[in-house]
Amino acid sequence: MSSVVALPRALLDTLRVDVRAASWFAALGEPLTDGDRSDATAYAEALGFDFLEIGLARDWPDAERLLKAPDWTPAWWDREEALRRSLLADAEARYPEAALWSALTDLTTDAGDLVHGKAATAAARLGSAAPASIHVAAGAASQAIYQLAVARLAGQSASPFESKFRLYAAGRWPLGILGSRLVLF
Amino acid sequence: MTDIIVKTVEELKDAPEEYREAIGKLVISHAVNELYGAQVFDEPAIAYAPTPYAKWLTCRVAMEEYGHHVRFKQLGVQMGIPEERMVPGTGKKPLSIFEFPLKTWEEFVAIKLLADLAEILQVEDLLHCTFHPLRNLARATMPEERFHAQFGEDFSAELVKTPDGKARLQAAVDEYYPYLPSFFGGSKSRNNEIFRKWKIKQRTNDEMRQDFITRASEVAAKYGLTLPEVRQAA
Repeated sequence: MSSVVALPRALLDTLRVDVRAASWFAALGEPLTDGDRSDATAYAEALGFDFLEIGLARDWPDAERLLKAPDWTPAWWDREEALRRSLLADAEARYPEAALWSALTDLTTDAGDLVHGKAATAAARLGSAAPASIHVAAGAASQAIYQLAVARLAGQSASPFESKFRLYAAGRWPLGILGSRLVLF
Repeated sequence: MTDIIVKTVEELKDAPEEYREAIGKLVISHAVNELYGAQVFDEPAIAYAPTPYAKWLTCRVAMEEYGHHVRFKQLGVQMGIPEERMVPGTGKKPLSIFEFPLKTWEEFVAIKLLADLAEILQVEDLLHCTFHPLRNLARATMPEERFHAQFGEDFSAELVKTPDGKARLQAAVDEYYPYLPSFFGGSKSRNNEIFRKWKIKQRTNDEMRQDFITRASEVAAKYGLTLPEVRQAA
């Protein structure tokens, strides 16, 4: 007998509320707080990266330089991807595939427009951002929302994607791992 | 009597059957092909992108392409088209280019440079559509399509800086470009005749194809690339 059930509307509604309430890109370039450091450390450790220094990008050009650096750490991206695929498989086992796919697509479409606008506002406020970087920021934030949705739909409430989302919700942009540093903007 | 303006989905119900069917075909075609493109090219390309900057930019492009599918599907649902007709694998034959899964980052850049230019032409032709909900959707989609083509130009400019990068990009152009002119349909397409009769679309398939070939040649030349010989239109 199949254990596939209807999508949890309440969970998706809560997620939409979390997305709307987040302070997307509001703290870019600001000094790091203890809360930022704590969430960044939790995020890195949950992905298996211990003892990382938490770095800070000063402005948009600095963030762009770091994001284009050839010495970035692909293992960070690959571990997130492996986890996402595993969680997606769990979610697909729980819910009807077409409904799950539609819910995730609709969510990221709506959220994508929201975070794109927030990224544009932050870029206008700080200045010196390349036009494409607004799209990059929106892509990163949309991906974080998608990852969080997949994790929660898979029944994982303590995944690295929770602490990653908390960084975004606090106005930060986690730019990724470069060498021994997890860099936030 | 073919001078008709349909301002809402509600008004469409009173439009002639041929007009309604033509609009339905176009909406289904766009919904299906946007989804195919996102699934076959944009989402897989994230893995091939060389840096986090390129990966997240590709994420955004993929999400916008999925978003285009969602918007066309939502319009179709409002028009009474069953959702299952607006997803791949349920009747609408995919474009031949979707049968060749993406293998490299250079292929994706070539596709954005040239296939998204073809997409721009298709959307441009709807900007004066007599069915205003479809016209408005085309207008909303256009800036994103232009950004996707610009993405192709920006990364082409990066790749051609080295002889090896340029050679790999040229190989990708050689592989994919021959499939693109057939995007625009047959020279004697009955559908296109009906679209133009009702001013849903503006140009013949051959006019659009020729315009595409001209613009594709110009953009390729800008980056020192050449276009291979074009196959016969479908």
